[in-house]
Formats: sequence, C-alpha cells, structure tokens
Amino acid sequence: MNAEAQNLYQKRRQERFRSAPIDGQALKVLIGAGLTWLRTNQEIVNALNVYPVPDGDTGINMVLTMQSAYDEIANSPEHNFGKMIHSVAHGALMGARGNSGVILSQIWRGLAHGMDENEILDGQSLVSSFAEARDVAYKGVVRPVEGTILTVAKDIAAAAEIALEDTNDPINILERIVLAADESVERTPELLDVLKKAGVVDAGGKGLFYILEGMLRYINGQSLDAPLTRVQPLSELSLEDTIETIEPGQDYEVVVDFRPDTPLNLETFYNQLEEIGTSIQVGEGEGIFRMHIHVPTDKRYEPIDYTMSLGTITKVYIENLIEQMEEIERNRRNSKVQLSPVEPNQIAVIAVSPGLGISRVFASLGAAGIVEGGQTMNPSTEDIIDAFENLPTEKVIILPNNKNIIMAAQSAAELTVKTVAVIPCKTIPQGLSAMFRLDPDGDFEEVKGEMLEAIEEVETGEITTAIRTTMVDDINVKEGEIIALLNGKLVLATKSLEESCLGLLNKANASQYELITLFYGADISKQEANHIADTIRATYPNLEIELQDGGQPHYQFILSIE
Amino acid sequence: MTGETTPIGSIHVSPRAVATITYQAALESYGVVGLAPKNLIDGLTNVIAKDPTHGVDVHYDGENIIIDMYIVIEYGTRIKSVASSVANTVRFHVEKALGMPINQVNVHVSGLRISDLD
Repeated sequence: MNAEAQNLYQKRRQERFRSAPIDGQALKVLIGAGLTWLRTNQEIVNALNVYPVPDGDTGINMVLTMQSAYDEIANSPEHNFGKMIHSVAHGALMGARGNSGVILSQIWRGLAHGMDENEILDGQSLVSSFAEARDVAYKGVVRPVEGTILTVAKDIAAAAEIALEDTNDPINILERIVLAADESVERTPELLDVLKKAGVVDAGGKGLFYILEGMLRYINGQSLDAPLTRVQPLSELSLEDTIETIEPGQDYEVVVDFRPDTPLNLETFYNQLEEIGTSIQVGEGEGIFRMHIHVPTDKRYEPIDYTMSLGTITKVYIENLIEQMEEIERNRRNSKVQLSPVEPNQIAVIAVSPGLGISRVFASLGAAGIVEGGQTMNPSTEDIIDAFENLPTEKVIILPNNKNIIMAAQSAAELTVKTVAVIPCKTIPQGLSAMFRLDPDGDFEEVKGEMLEAIEEVETGEITTAIRTTMVDDINVKEGEIIALLNGKLVLATKSLEESCLGLLNKANASQYELITLFYGADISKQEANHIADTIRATYPNLEIELQDGGQPHYQFILSIE
Repeated sequence: MTGETTPIGSIHVSPRAVATITYQAALESYGVVGLAPKNLIDGLTNVIAKDPTHGVDVHYDGENIIIDMYIVIEYGTRIKSVASSVANTVRFHVEKALGMPINQVNVHVSGLRISDLD
C-alpha cells in the first residue's frame, strides 16, 4: 500500500469507528485486534519473564487466554455490548493459563461486570468498569505485589477517571488509558526489585498494554502484524528476506549506518520511520546502528536526513528495488532452490517435493535434484530421469516421498544405466529422515541400508480437508471437515485445525518422542501456523516444536514426529 | 530434617521452617485468598495463636520432601490454573531457599471464597 492510500485507509477506519456507536460487534473486532497485536509482540513479552517459575511464558499464556476469549465470541451475532463482554469474560476465564492469564481473566470479569447493562459502550461506564476491574483483580490475592499487572490495572483505572473530566468519548478515553498503561509499565521496575535487577519491565503488565494498544491501533488504522521495536544483532539482520515482500510504493531501499549522539529512543525512532516508509529493521553492534527501510521515490533522502539529526552517519546505501526485484525474479526462475553440486563417484539424491519450502529443506540437506510433485501431481518417469541423467555420477538414490510416486521412481531406476536405488518413503518426514543419513562419499549399499532403516523411525502426520463425505476405517468424515492421517491412515475427523493437530499428536503418543516438526502448507498463513505451534508447545512443554514453511498444496500441515 | 554437614558442624532445617516459606509464598500467589485448617485441632490452635504454618504440612522421610497445602481460592478464577501456579510458586521459593529438590507439592483446594460480585 502506498503512503497516500494508507493515509486514506487510516482516516476511513477512524471515521467509521468514531461515527457509529461501539456495540457488541465492534467489541468483537477490538478483541480480535488486541489479541493479534499481543500475539505479534508475544516474543517481546516472553523475553521479559524474569521469574524462573515454570509458569510457562507470560506472552504465550496471555495469548492463549485471549484466544479463548476471542473464540467464545468469534461466531456470535450479538449486538448488545454488555452481553458480548460477558462472553469475553467467560471465554477468558475458561481458557485462563498461568498466573498472568488468571489475572487477565479477572480483569475481563471486572470489566464485564461494570458494563453488563450497556447496549453500547459509553465513556462513563468504561471508566467505572475499569475501576471495577481493578477491584476484582486485587481481590484475588491476599498480598498483592506491586510493580506487576495489578499495578498497571490500578494506574489505568486512575487515568480513566481523570480522563472523564475532559471527555466523554470512549475512544478518547481509550487513548488516555493506553498512554497510562505504557507509563505504568515503564514504572514497574521502580516498584519491584527483581525487575530492576534484571533490567526489564513487568511482562504481564506489558501484555495488558499490548492488548489495549492493539485495540487503539486498529481504530487508528495502524498495522497489527509488524512488531515495533525490535533490535537484533547486526549479524542476524537478514535484509535479503525483506525484498521478497516489497509492494508498490516501496521503490527504494535505504540502509544507513550511524552512531547516535545520545542513547536512541527506539519507540520514537520507529514511529518517525513509520511515517517515512515500510519494512523497517534496525540492527545494532558495537554502538553502530544499521537502519533499513523501503521508501517511495520522492522520500528516498528522508531517512538519511532524519538519522543525520540523531548522530553521525558512517555509511549510506541506496538501491532501486524495482530493478533489484526484477533481477531476483529472473534468478528465481532459473534456480528455485540452491541444489548441492555432485562430484563424480559421489552419491546423488533426487527428492520429490510438493512445495517450495520443502524443496529448500531437501536442498539444504544436500539433495542434488528436486522433482516437483505430490499427492495430486505425480511426476512422470521421464521427469524423474531428467533430474539425474545429466549428473556427473553413476550412483543415484531417489526419495519419492509419496506412495503414488514410488512406482514411477522404480521404473525410472530400470530405464537408466546408472546404479539407482529407490527408497520407498511414502511421506515427506520419512524422506527427510532418510536424507539425514546421506553421506555423499559413503558406500552406496551402506547408505541405502541406513536410509531404509531411517524411514521406519519417524511417524508422519498429515492434516488436510476432506473433499467428500465418506467413511474410512470406521471413521465418519463429512465434506469440509479437517482430517488427520497418521502414517497414511485416517485417524480423526474434526471441525478445526487445532483440534486436528492436537488429536493427531495424541493418537501418535507424541509425548514419547522428542521433536515435532510442522511444515505448514500454501493455504495457511504464517500467523495461523504460529498460533497452532504455540498451542502444541503449551500442550507438550517437554518436546521441541519446530515450524517450517513447507509450501505444499492441499495439506495444511505435514508433521514429522521423531 | 534436611541436613547438611559442613566442616564446623551440621545444618538442620525444620519442617516448620519449610512450612513457613510455603505459607508466605502461597499468600503471594494470585488467586489464593487464604489457607484452611487441615483438621479440627489445627483450626482450634489457630484461633488461640496465629500460626505461621497454618494449612501447610511438610513431610520429610529422610530422603523425600513432600509438601501438602490446604488453600482457599477466589471464586470466579480458573481453579486448575490457580492451583498449578501456586504449586509452582511454592516449589520455586522453597527450592530457592533450601537448595534441595522438593519431591511433591500437593495442593488441596479446601474451599472457595465468594466475593460480592456477580
């Protein structure tokens, strides 16, 4: 979106919210916004957790609690504000996780109690219900500790009361509340010594701030999916990736290295940069900051002028993105993934892959050739032969990664003079597990034997949508339901992706294993995938959970359990 | 109980001391609004003299430390979450103070306190 369209969009969203009364449906939107913004920033909240109490991570706990609150109202057509906020409180209570989640649910309970008579939201009852939220939250503990989310709830209530003297408009009051929450969070280290020693603010309070700020950001038409203040070590700044997501209006990439004269206030810094452009990243190392931004043509010098006002600039790079994009596109067409080169007499592996992400994983593990194909698109024998016929080695191993492709791979093996082994792996996790055993310089028979062993050691889960109503293995499946397959066998049909993943892991006795890798498909957003990965993490805190962009069609998730 | 021998003598920590830490930690846990007498005698003694280990039982059999606590939770909170977080908090504080692993923390929810809301 270019700057002008963005402005127009923001203005329209603001007007819409300010012109119509805030009813139950508007509350639903705001709860969703608070949840999204909290989730976007959950890593920041997790990082603040100083108590090594195994309470789980505060960020995750608060996200799961808010998710439960949102799920409760997601499909509700209710217009009455009071009824809706009661459902929110109920959902938060039912899903309350960890200490911070329990306190959060009490805050919602208080808010709901203060507004249950309301058809729509008004300033007066908003303010009195924040006072109620404070009271309910404090009631839940004998010795309240100050410098926590409780203090933030108290400061918010006080600020709301003062705001009421100037304005009756709930949105204006919300603005003051968000400001007060921010200030209160910043003060928490002064009240609580452990925070001060660790040099952090209170995690629960910060989480509450993000929920409220998310609502305000939504009303103001600001984005909810990019975390704001993030500084990473210079070595981790991956500027290559940002280019993959450029949009029209981001014509130039500007990177400035500078040394600030005074300590940098990141929040102001980001806010200023947001006015100029998008895809903002800031890195720091040895006192030098590197700022990266995408800007429209007419603003290409503004980031430089701005950073110059903050300190000494050491280096500036400006690149024309449109030109760069075209080159990247050209390269991408030529070679989608970086395949491993093969020397004569080495063992080459050809893997069949249904999606770009999975191809990349195979390539990174040393595959010499990738053949595109999967469940609904079986490659021909010829496609497979083409992938290895010109390689400078005689020893080839094929990983079909799908039971429908094993036949084609075997006929490819018969039609060539090279020595070819087909590992009968029926799934992607099996193929990857075999791939890990590749030693390009090893003995062909030995490597083959190890791979055959490896494919037995991994459990495969697949999650997809049923395309027709049927009954398989005594399980009734309705069209459109989410079905889970364990090692190719249907084990479960459910309504939601989450249930399906958790149910599948349960059937697979996942707690007996060590590592779960989730490859999410082309039809599912990273955000959704992240949410499900978090839920799995919370359910199996002792397992390692990895999330990978698989890019496969049809299957929302492919899970490897090992 | 819970001894440690140093060159100049040995250190003993009584179950009562452990119970006091538990009591304090429990009262700082969110959702816990009080501890409950575990039996009639405990209830009576607490009326006569405020006991800093009220509602807490600590067992040490020479090897394992087991803590039992009897708590009252605020009505309207999710009991399961409150109970598991009080168990974690108690375990953390006691282990930190004692430097010894706790084998079990058993939480008994004796009752709920209903405040005037709803």
